[in-house]
Amino acid sequence: MSLVDLIQRDPDAATLKLWLNKIPYARYLGMDADMQGSDILFRLPPDDKLIGNASLPALHGGVVGAFMELSGAIHLVAKMENPVLPKVINFSLDYLRASRLRETYARCSITRQGRQVANVSITAWQEDMDAPNATARAHFLIAEPNKE
Amino acid sequence: MEPLSLEEKTRFINMMGDFIPHTRGLRVALHSIAGNALTLRLPYQNELVGDPTTGILHSGAVTVLLDQTLGLSAVCSDDIAPSVTPTLDLRIDHLGVAPAGKDIYATGKVYRATRKVLFVEGYAWCESPDKPIARATGTWVRVMDINLDWVRNSKEYNT
Repeated sequence: MSLVDLIQRDPDAATLKLWLNKIPYARYLGMDADMQGSDILFRLPPDDKLIGNASLPALHGGVVGAFMELSGAIHLVAKMENPVLPKVINFSLDYLRASRLRETYARCSITRQGRQVANVSITAWQEDMDAPNATARAHFLIAEPNKE
Repeated sequence: MEPLSLEEKTRFINMMGDFIPHTRGLRVALHSIAGNALTLRLPYQNELVGDPTTGILHSGAVTVLLDQTLGLSAVCSDDIAPSVTPTLDLRIDHLGVAPAGKDIYATGKVYRATRKVLFVEGYAWCESPDKPIARATGTWVRVMDINLDWVRNSKEYNT
């Protein structure tokens, strides 16, 4: 079943994993997602191949950004009434502290969803949710292909 | 301080690339240095695909390449001594996508350097630098200068 078909399913924990498994880049990063009540918790397990600074060691900043962007897109799909695959328009990332080689989490919220565009904010943290490693904001185009 | 020569910049960028496991694994490599501008190349690879029905690389992979390129282009600036520079922020506009199977290039340069802050801009492109697929701006903070004696004297990392 293709990703376009899969996103029509209710986003329970098992479905989220199916979605991630359909995206080669999400598999490469080793991302995972779970439901927490009605919220989704995204998880990036530590992996040596994701290291940017070998002496700390710390995750590559770009990887943290990519994980957050993927989290934002999947969160959006899970919350849409008529899911379509979102296209990222732009992505703005604030790095707050270096991300060490340990479990990284992300949580997202849809700040505004219009008919064509959604604004999603994403927070990533490691040990303490109140001390985020990075915050980001993404705009996604969510128009159905035949209505663009 | 004397600006780094082209040969010294090349050596330094290659050395830095070797110290960054993630992009070393992805075979991100120096493409060219032209004055203050640095260009890196990310070879196309199936693991980085976002949509398997099209084979187009995920935008996150473009983020990684731009973060790396803009971050390293601080080293190529003749205006300021290379320093340890954590990233403050990065913003990317996705203007298009690279066709499946094509390598992606990213070019970055410092457009303003102050004593403490580097303002960097760049873009990612595929077939021609005149047709960018993404545009990026970011800021890096200068924390401390890097001792460059070893770069000037090293005989390694010249290719």
